[in-house]
Amino acid sequence: MLSEFTAIPGRSLAFWRMVGAMLVLVLMGAGAFFYVEHHGHAVTGMNNQIVWGLPHVFAISLLVMASGALNMGSMSTVFAVKQFEQFGRFSAFLSIALLVGGLAVLMLDLGRPDNMLLPMVYMNFRSMFTWNVFLYTGFMTLCLLYLWTMFEYKQYKKLVGTAAFGWRLVLTTGTGSIFGVIQGREVFGSAITAPTFVAISLTSGTAIGILLLVHTYRRTGRQLDDKLIFGMRNALIFFLALVAYLLIVEKFTRFYDPSSYAVESWILNGPWAWLYWLGVWGVGVLIPLVLMFNREIGNSVGGVLVASGFVVAGAFCFVAHTLLAGQSYPFDLFPGYVTSSAFQDGVAGSYVPTLSELFLGLGGVGISGLIFLLGIRFFRMLPEKAVAPAGWELPWTP
Amino acid sequence: MTMDRRSVLGLGGAIAAGVALAPGLHLIAAPADKSTPETAPVRTGKRWAMLIDTTRCTADCTECTQACRAENNVPLFGDPDRDIHWIRKVELRDQNRRQAPISLPVLCNHCENPPCVHVCPTEASFIRHDGLVLIDKHRCIGCRYCIIACPYKARSLVFYKTRPPRDANPNVPIRAAGVVEKCTFCVHRIDDGKPPACVEACTKANKGAMLFGDINDPNSEISQRLLKEKTQTIRPDLGLKPHVHYKGI
Repeated sequence: MLSEFTAIPGRSLAFWRMVGAMLVLVLMGAGAFFYVEHHGHAVTGMNNQIVWGLPHVFAISLLVMASGALNMGSMSTVFAVKQFEQFGRFSAFLSIALLVGGLAVLMLDLGRPDNMLLPMVYMNFRSMFTWNVFLYTGFMTLCLLYLWTMFEYKQYKKLVGTAAFGWRLVLTTGTGSIFGVIQGREVFGSAITAPTFVAISLTSGTAIGILLLVHTYRRTGRQLDDKLIFGMRNALIFFLALVAYLLIVEKFTRFYDPSSYAVESWILNGPWAWLYWLGVWGVGVLIPLVLMFNREIGNSVGGVLVASGFVVAGAFCFVAHTLLAGQSYPFDLFPGYVTSSAFQDGVAGSYVPTLSELFLGLGGVGISGLIFLLGIRFFRMLPEKAVAPAGWELPWTP
Repeated sequence: MTMDRRSVLGLGGAIAAGVALAPGLHLIAAPADKSTPETAPVRTGKRWAMLIDTTRCTADCTECTQACRAENNVPLFGDPDRDIHWIRKVELRDQNRRQAPISLPVLCNHCENPPCVHVCPTEASFIRHDGLVLIDKHRCIGCRYCIIACPYKARSLVFYKTRPPRDANPNVPIRAAGVVEKCTFCVHRIDDGKPPACVEACTKANKGAMLFGDINDPNSEISQRLLKEKTQTIRPDLGLKPHVHYKGI
């Protein structure tokens, strides 16, 4: 079934234009970093109520996608869906690329980036951030080892691939738990936050994988069996249903608790409600589901690509909503009282991101893109011909 | 020297493994002797706390906040969203507007179970042995997770680069942009046997709304008043055991 793995030629002007575009993004990110570093975070839209802004949205979205990008590899190594084995290398490498981009943004947005190595020296094991230091470095290590076993030591592939699969579940649980363990802000502090992050990683990781895979094959003139993409479409539909289920269960549970009426009503009707309804539900779940369930659109690769684009944008909206709505909700220091002060007590936090934040976030995308492009250019990541095994029929089509 | 791609991948894996394991090696290293005079923890057997009598606090009085700014060189940038507030006056109105508004100062509650300390990845936020929750500014990386975790909005990020004013108090650390700071209960004054600046200012203004003391001493005024008077803390439901008590709410 497997044809020979080769690197893409990467000699065309279009390829180097893409590399150039990514380099420009990286330079924009670097410029934004030095600008913020020189002037302080006052030049960002962040303030003392909303201390995590657009850079964190980019960073966490990339990290969540990095975990999910391993789906294709895990499907074949762990769940024996052999037709995706040919995308294992691509999948593990994409995970690394996205992880590096996300981590770079996270590190460069620190108030004291010159102290960025301190978390490796002083550790507080009650902090989710400390756990995440281990989870990110461990995940990257496992992805590299997984990649290595796929290249050379195939007898260890299942072992390392399974470890990477387990690790990525813990990794995204750790990312979601950054918010899930916070009890002091009413919008955060839910046990279901972490599983929802895992589900979002499954959808967005699969979607970004589909987008990059199809574009790489199309632009390099290689053969990619549509049936393989439709197999991923089916997985994407299942993952989207899982996201919808978790979102509904969360709201259902919260609305059973009268003390949550105020905060939940604020989420569904407040200043960030548009992001929840349009972004998380509309763009992230409903539109892609409608597209993929449509007999004509769902059965075309172009349709699946459009749906995947919506899913990626929806994951971005989910992370943005979790962060921004969660921080904007006014602190309820004295329940039963209306509070006011010179420190914005009693009012919803406002946040308007600045260009420097956007550029820093895009810098992370640029780093991921650059690593990805150079990776497929110099390493044998993808088979010349990706075909579905003979006799394999999709269990379901729209 | 040339390397084939497999070797590059292998080397990359080995480097990443080293990076991942390096922090772990730190775990099994011999513990450093932390008992040098400079770093020896304060073991006074004390537990500092504050009692704020809101019935004696008036909306027009800002003696406590002004004294705090002067004592700790806390600047005002004129940017309400990004100003640093170690202590702030908050006005409360009951939702039915049946009671007169209440004015009170809100500051770091120096909790017994401080979420800011729990989430700090580098242990820059820590609890001193006398219960003070403090920040080691040299160890703070400016991740702001503590600001997210604090339910009292008691922490501020230093958004602007500043220079200490000419008449700055030399007993407090220089302000660094990009790190988080908050009320220290005027730790430098406590160690000199003085009350926090806000409490002293409140007393000097004949308000007597703020009382500071050691609740481990059963004969201290604060212990006696906490025993006899009806007081409450902010958000006791969170289980943080804050050590700023309020009377009259």
